Formats: sequence, structure tokens, C-alpha cells
Amino acid sequence: MRELLKRPKILIGVAILLVMVAISVLAPLLAPYDPTASSVMFLSPPSPENWLGTDELGRDILSRMVYGGQSSLIVGIGAAVIAAVIGIPVGLCAGYLGGRIDLLATQVIDIFIALPGLILALIITAMVGPTLFNLVLVLGFVSWPRIARLIRGQTLALRESVFVEASKAVGARADWIMLKHIWPNTMRIVAAQFALTVAYSIFTSASLSFLGLGVPPPTPDWGAMVRAGFDYLALNPGMSLAPGAAVAVTVFGFYLIGTSIK
Amino acid sequence: MLTVIGRRLLWAAPNLVLVTALLFFSVASFFGNPAALMLGQDATPEAIADLSHQMGFDRPVIVQYLSWVGNAFAGNLGRSYTTHQTVAEMMARSLPVTIELAVLSILLATVVSVGLNSLTWGERLIRPVVTVLSIVSMTVPNFMLGMCAIFVFSVYLGWLPSVGWVPWSRGLGVHLEHIVLPVVTLSAYYFGAFTLVYRAEYQAVRERLFVRVARAKGLSAHRVSFRHILPNSILPVITYIGISLGQLMGGAVVTETLFSMPGIGKLFVTAVLSRDYPVMLAVGMFIIVSVILMNLLADVVYTLINPQIRLN
Repeated sequence: MRELLKRPKILIGVAILLVMVAISVLAPLLAPYDPTASSVMFLSPPSPENWLGTDELGRDILSRMVYGGQSSLIVGIGAAVIAAVIGIPVGLCAGYLGGRIDLLATQVIDIFIALPGLILALIITAMVGPTLFNLVLVLGFVSWPRIARLIRGQTLALRESVFVEASKAVGARADWIMLKHIWPNTMRIVAAQFALTVAYSIFTSASLSFLGLGVPPPTPDWGAMVRAGFDYLALNPGMSLAPGAAVAVTVFGFYLIGTSIK
Repeated sequence: MLTVIGRRLLWAAPNLVLVTALLFFSVASFFGNPAALMLGQDATPEAIADLSHQMGFDRPVIVQYLSWVGNAFAGNLGRSYTTHQTVAEMMARSLPVTIELAVLSILLATVVSVGLNSLTWGERLIRPVVTVLSIVSMTVPNFMLGMCAIFVFSVYLGWLPSVGWVPWSRGLGVHLEHIVLPVVTLSAYYFGAFTLVYRAEYQAVRERLFVRVARAKGLSAHRVSFRHILPNSILPVITYIGISLGQLMGGAVVTETLFSMPGIGKLFVTAVLSRDYPVMLAVGMFIIVSVILMNLLADVVYTLINPQIRLN
């Protein structure tokens, strides 16, 4: 852990993550205005009162950006948790038990990985309706195969190791070996993939919002803000570029953490 | 070779059936009765039942699925609920747009990533820049990149038109003008991904004996890089190209929407948002089929180029 924290890439990633979490948690204190309160000041350019200007309903863009981090982080982390909860057991069982279970699992995993995640998410979200909770479920459901595949690969290698053999020799059951011997040895790769899944989910949920299937209004959401601001790009570029940059920076942070742990 | 393709096809067939059936059933069960959707809120239950019967929506889902597949093979994909055009016609119009976008972007991404990563001069300067660019291009969402491009080149500099699609028939210049920004935007992610894959392989190949021999013969560094290392490290990129093309056939949903390109992706998003059931189903099926077939093609090409690998 200490050795990991010395790498500049991971330091930048962690710093971004901490800032994002801090902003989201402290949103009520940091935001100058209520993010959903509209005013008669439509589409005003950046000014000392509204640092980033106001949107088409007269809402303060900075306040909406500050609050927008909350839903992004909830969706990203929530989806990664769901993906891990499904992916880890599937990967462990497929890798360790092998046989038909493995064949079935890899088949399902391969199909899922081949299909474009955004399109899958688009279809499912359209079916179940875009609420914050549903988005978490949908994105988790779309991302679990990657985690499962990684764990399966690790498990396959670990299954042949001496300590597993020793454990078998003293009569340990399969579930015990998986939980106590194999799972702890896959932790690092799970952590890496977890961070990458958060990055991917924030990316995808922003894209969904941009397409019009994100967290429903009036909840402040970066992707939806980008979409709304696009029509006024010439008038106030910050209206869409600022929330877009927020998505990019957050995804970048999680991506750095994920790739450097790996 | 043919047996290899045949075996892969056989392997892909159950996947195709499974996934398309899954899509069909879930669309059918989640979206409710299409007849009710078509008739609107004020329709009486009798009218809905009547139309359901006429259109065959009251049959078991499995029968509906089979008849859908049968019709699809006959080229009949139904009619859109919103535009009332045939779905086949709508898709035929969108497909060339998507294919052009996809092929040009992948081409651009391949040439730029392979080229930049094979350069032998200015390595110290170029490598770090390429690394940063590749990470940025993979983490910054498409809509953000595209929007920045529109802001800089259309709004600020005024060099290029911002959005819209102009067909070839209206002149090559205008056509290209409209397609430059979307192609560059779309290629960004693939540039990053190809760079990662290519560079890892390139660095491994560079250490191999035949490269040392080539150098010992006195070949220039440039020639060694492009003639000896490049052909031997491009394989993983080719596989990736196949997979990416398959995924892009489903349309670059975000890029097409941002730039108002009338491609498959735009068609799909519009259909999903307006619950245009036949269009959604047809495009969804098309995406699944093209992804599975393109993956298969990538595998086959891989074996063609590299006989060391035999499919098992």
C-alpha cells in the first residue's frame, strides 16, 4: 500500500478522488445557491454573482455542478459494487469449479463483453426507466462480466498453486478454499478493476444523460447539463464545457488509480 | 480455412439465437403491449385487444419471435410507429453514414497510433506526448471531446460547420467539411486503445533476435522500425480493429447524436427515446448480429495472418 502511494500516477488519481468526494459531501456548504432554484436571470454569462453564469431556467451553473458530483459518484461507485457482488462469485466459481459451470459462465461473459456497453445500458434503461437507483443497477449489470473474467483467470492460475493443494490435502472444502485462499489473492486485481468500473460507469452514465436517459430532472447531473448547454455553446461555452470537464476529470482520476494498481 | 470459419459460425449460431431471443423477450415484456402504445392513452380496452389481435401481439412471445425472424429474413422489418416508413428503408438510409464514419475513424486511429508509436526520431519528445494523449482520449467522454472541437473549430475559429450531414452528391468538399469533426472525435478513443495495445507489443517485439540481426546488418533505425518491428507487432491491433468495427456498426451513438449524423446510432437513440418498438428491435438485432459476426471475422483474419495460431 505504501509502495503504491509513492507512484505519481496513483497520487494524482487519489487527489482527484478526494477532491471530488469532498466537494460532493460538502456540496450544501460550497454551493452558493440552491441547485434547483430557478430565477429570472436566464442564460446570464459568468459574473461575480454567478461564476459560471446561469442556465436556461436561470439556475446557477456552479451550484449545479457542485451538486452534480453526488449523483455521478453514487452511480459510479454503486454500479461498481453491484458489478463486484455479481462478478466475484461468478468468477471464483467458474475458475475453481471448472467443468460445465465454467463453460456456461465464460459463454455468458463473452457475449456480454462483446456487446457495446452503452447500447446495452441504453436498452435496459429505456425499459426500466431512468432513476438513480435503476442506473446503478443497470450499469452494475453491464459491467460485472469484466470483473468475473478477471477473477476467473486469476483463480485458474491460483487453483494449481501449492497452498491450494496443501489445503485440499488437509481436507478443506471448495467453498473454504475459494474464500480463504483464492479470494484474498485476487484482491489487488479486484481493486484495480473496481476503480476502472467506477470510471467506466461514470463515463457511461454521463453519456446516457447526454442522450436523454440519465438521472431525471431537476436533479443536477453533469451529462444532462452538457446536453442542455450544447444549444447555447456560442452564448456561454462554460455551460456545457464545465460539467463536461468535471466528468472527464473524475473519470481520469479513477482510471489512473485503476491502471496503476494493475 | 473454410472449416475454421464453419466451426466458428457454428459456435456463434447459438449465441445469436440466445441473445436475439433475449432482446426480443425483454423488449416485449418490458414495453408492454405495442397496440396500446400505438393507440395512445384514450384507447378503449376493446380497441387495444382488437388491434393486438390484428397485428398478432396476442400470440405467445415465442411465436412472435419466430415470425419476426422469418419476416426479417424476407427483408420485412415492419414499419416505424413514428415515421410510418418501413424499418428496412430507414436502416438502409442510415447504414452508409455509420459505415463511412466507422471506417474513416478506425482508419485514422490506426494510422496515427501505429505511425506515432513507430517513429524513431524525436522519441524522447513524442513518446510522453503520445502517452498523455492516449490516456486523455480514453478518459474524456466523446461528447466532451466533440463539443470542444465544435467550440474551437466552428464557434470560435469558424473554419468548419458544426453539425449536420451532407451527402456525397452535394460535392466532395462540403461532404468532407461536415465529416471531419465527427471522424476525429470518434477516432480519439480508438487512438488511445490502439496505442496501448500496439505499444506493448512493439516493445516486446523490439527485444527479439531478428530485430537485432536487422540492426546488425546496418539497416537504418527507421527501416527496422517500419519494416521489421511494425508488421510483427500489428496483430493485436488488427484483432482490436475487427472488434471495434463490429461495435461501431451499431453506430457511434453519442457522436452521431452530438453531430446530428443520420446514422444507425442516431436512429437507435431516437427509437429508444420515442419507444418506437419495431425500429428499436430491428436496430438492436442488427447491432447484436454485427458484433458477433465481426468478432468472428476478427478471429478468422487473425488466423489468416498468423498461421501459428490455430483455433481450437
